[in-house]
Amino acid sequence: MWNEVRGLRDGVDYGTPPRDGEPVSLTVDGTEVTVPAGSSVMLATVQAGRSVPKLCATDSLEAFGSCRVCLVEIEGQRGYPASCTTVVAPGMEVRTQSERLTTLRKGVMELYLSDFPESEIPDGWSELHRTLEEIGLEGHRYGEGHNHFRSPVDESNPYFLFDPAKCIVCSRCVRACEEVQGTFALTIQGRGFESKVAAGQDEPFMESECVSCGACVQACPSHALVEKSLFPGGYERA
Amino acid sequence: MPNPRKPEKETITICAYCGVGCGFKAETIGNEIVRMTPWKDGKSNHGHSCIKGRFSYDYYRHPDRVKTPMIRASIDDPWQEVSWEEAFAHAASEIKRIQAKYGRASVGGVSSSRCTNEEIFLTMKFVRAVLGNNNIDNCARICHSPTQFGLSATVGAGAASQHFDSILQADVIMVVGANPTEGHPVFGSMMKRRIRQGAKLIVIDPRRTETVDSPHCRADVHLALRPGTNVAILNSLAHVIVRENLHAPEFIKSRCEWQEFEHWAELVGSDEYSPENIGAIAGVDPEDIRRAARIYASGPRSTVYYGLGVTEHSQGSTGVMCLGNLALSCGMYGREGVGVNPLRGQGNVQGGSCLGSWPHVLTGYRFVTDDATRSSFEAEWGVELDPEPGLRLPNMFDAALTGHFKGMYIMGEDPVQSDPNQNHIIAALRKMECVIVHDIFLNETSKYAHVLLPGSSSLEKDGTFTNAERRISRVRKVVEPLAGYQDWEVTVKLMNALGYDVQYAHAGEVLDELARLSPAYSGASFELLDRVGSAQWPVDTKAPEGTEVLHMEQFPRANGLGTFMLTGFVPTRERISEQYPLLLTTGRILSQYNVGTQTRRTANSQWHPEDVLEMSRGDMQVRGLHTGDRVTVASRFGATQLKVVESNRVNPGIVYTTFHHAESKANAVTSDLSDWATNCPEYKVTAVEVAKVKPDEKSRARTDTAHPAHREHEAEALVAVEDA
Repeated sequence: MWNEVRGLRDGVDYGTPPRDGEPVSLTVDGTEVTVPAGSSVMLATVQAGRSVPKLCATDSLEAFGSCRVCLVEIEGQRGYPASCTTVVAPGMEVRTQSERLTTLRKGVMELYLSDFPESEIPDGWSELHRTLEEIGLEGHRYGEGHNHFRSPVDESNPYFLFDPAKCIVCSRCVRACEEVQGTFALTIQGRGFESKVAAGQDEPFMESECVSCGACVQACPSHALVEKSLFPGGYERA
Repeated sequence: MPNPRKPEKETITICAYCGVGCGFKAETIGNEIVRMTPWKDGKSNHGHSCIKGRFSYDYYRHPDRVKTPMIRASIDDPWQEVSWEEAFAHAASEIKRIQAKYGRASVGGVSSSRCTNEEIFLTMKFVRAVLGNNNIDNCARICHSPTQFGLSATVGAGAASQHFDSILQADVIMVVGANPTEGHPVFGSMMKRRIRQGAKLIVIDPRRTETVDSPHCRADVHLALRPGTNVAILNSLAHVIVRENLHAPEFIKSRCEWQEFEHWAELVGSDEYSPENIGAIAGVDPEDIRRAARIYASGPRSTVYYGLGVTEHSQGSTGVMCLGNLALSCGMYGREGVGVNPLRGQGNVQGGSCLGSWPHVLTGYRFVTDDATRSSFEAEWGVELDPEPGLRLPNMFDAALTGHFKGMYIMGEDPVQSDPNQNHIIAALRKMECVIVHDIFLNETSKYAHVLLPGSSSLEKDGTFTNAERRISRVRKVVEPLAGYQDWEVTVKLMNALGYDVQYAHAGEVLDELARLSPAYSGASFELLDRVGSAQWPVDTKAPEGTEVLHMEQFPRANGLGTFMLTGFVPTRERISEQYPLLLTTGRILSQYNVGTQTRRTANSQWHPEDVLEMSRGDMQVRGLHTGDRVTVASRFGATQLKVVESNRVNPGIVYTTFHHAESKANAVTSDLSDWATNCPEYKVTAVEVAKVKPDEKSRARTDTAHPAHREHEAEALVAVEDA
């Protein structure tokens, strides 16, 4: 735990925490890159200038492997491992782009979008919107199914709000509360489609143990947790 | 629609709240700050933040902000708005008149740890070069002056030995008289991170703080000592270390004065400091003292973080020396993961401390009595300097009461609310003829002022701050100063109005001058900070990008060795009695900051609308009190009213409150005792009695608070009083 904190850089997201280990060399899309042992393949792709799209990963948090957007191909390995949870090995040959990978990533993102407010897909500037741009997706092929569009917005905190309609349940907020802030105020409650971010004992944020440090807001990739100051006229759903 | 508006511009700057000094990106649209986000390259926060830095910035555009200079002949007159020129001319003529009538030394100044290094330096220069005396002090007087004294005495440098990240290599963390998760939250998070990885935690604090017990963070040993017994307890830890041979003879022989160690070992090793003896005095289990000592000494890397719970005592300096002694004796200096580190309260209190804003020393703690030091300043400033040390802040007030001190330039400070023995200070201010308050808001002190110069917040100015780990970071102007000038420009114009001709094109030129006159800052410049982000002093030719860990090879003392100070325990004169059977101690809470000038003007008050008195169940029962009752807290010095709440965080016999709200008047109660060496007030120990407020006293108390405070949330109470 040294580089994990001290190696973070503004304007760069390695996807997973920088490590302190001995140098390990591998190739990413044919480019050789050397990273400390214990680093993720995702970090190596960033170092090689070949970063892969991602949602649930950010370098201030340990890898989680839930969004399945950062899939890659590794020579000699079956399937499409998540680059965030796969640790580098000497001589590893990683491919970040292929037709199959693009199809898989688009398929995953379409499923996310099927439960994301339609009107919010264009003109956003969250990480989710950047990921959409990276993989070249503007919408999804599904009709209206079960969704969280009418789950109530939690505006109890004076400084930020939580709109479950935009939440992709990536757990970044929960993990930031634990790993970065150390307060453990958030959790994912329920299973499958029912799973949702909950503060305290499923209370409003303001009544929970939340200390309003903003780590969850900082970590949220979809502007589901977002500063109220960015909505001068108040927050209104479409 | 609900896609958020996108900020147009980012400005990298530093949070001005606590001494952690987090780097932030101030995101703006036009001249409006729409969001503050933590800066990942910020070396003290690495992209993390707390509620204050992240969200509590809106005070900068609060309607209470003073936008126009004001003057008045008497404090009983209403304020009269004037132009900047008139305000400067009036202030200058008053100072001249007072100095002509009462002498050169009848005026002085106080600098602010809320202001930049450049502004602190200029205020110091204003007093020494323009007013011509050394009556300059700063608010570190009332918080960490014992740190400078106590650490300088033992290890030669009155500052943190480590950088914050160093805690990530500590095996044992000892927190003394501090509550990082509330007072220094971003550092608190780092500390908790290390504790979750298995580091041991020792807490020495009268109160079961959030640091002692919170999710996944529990102290291995908590010494819940009686307020005022720090030195006894720390000596007792040393007793165990010496008696059980847990000290580090190799380190002491190679890095310290051995003979002084022997003297010290004889003192702390005496039976007087046995855990049994001290345990009884401090109200602590002797076995816990032994456990704490053994854990600390065994390290292998043990570090100390301490706060005002050590310094704000009549033996504050002694307490700091105890920590220095302890770390030296166990070889806990000169590596990562060890050291002794003050957690400083204000964003720039380290800068306030090391830039000569003291009556006896110039920058870098060099004495004004030293001819060589003084002449280097005289050469740079073109004036002759007074070789006589000036008055300390409390002495300025004392001198005012005897009629010898008549005028004061108070920059970004509110001594009426923040200094001890409020009634005494008010009486002193009333006797002065020209009090110049330079602040962003009208405050308690401005009620007794004759000139009000509108200040600029840290979001409106350029300069540098030095945080608690000696880190010099750039403060960058995010929005235009509301009243037209940055604070440093106001001080320069005040100097000009008094006939001292000096001009700076920008704040960076002030830093250049400051660097020429301060060895530890000699390599600092805007150019360096823009290039490397921030740098910890010493930043000089030997360490052009700064120094993370001090004392690696030797200590900055004449012989290069650390030394042991004799730290006999002398109990405070403030004792409990039949009339005042409880001990009051104070602290702070996460969502409010110090006297609350800024945070009370934000939505943070939703978390902490008022200060409350924490009391143990037994103490409440015998007094017939229930949570929510309004009580009078009375000491030998004064009384105030608070709401009482039952709390298991305090032991029987101890009561605790925070001091964020002017109405609480916590400092009307605190004693006039202070640290023997530095006059740092003894805020942390006051004997009090607590009693339920009778109904007829309630209305009187309301009238007490009916001063012209312009805060919105008080408007209702004010109306009620006016109606009555």
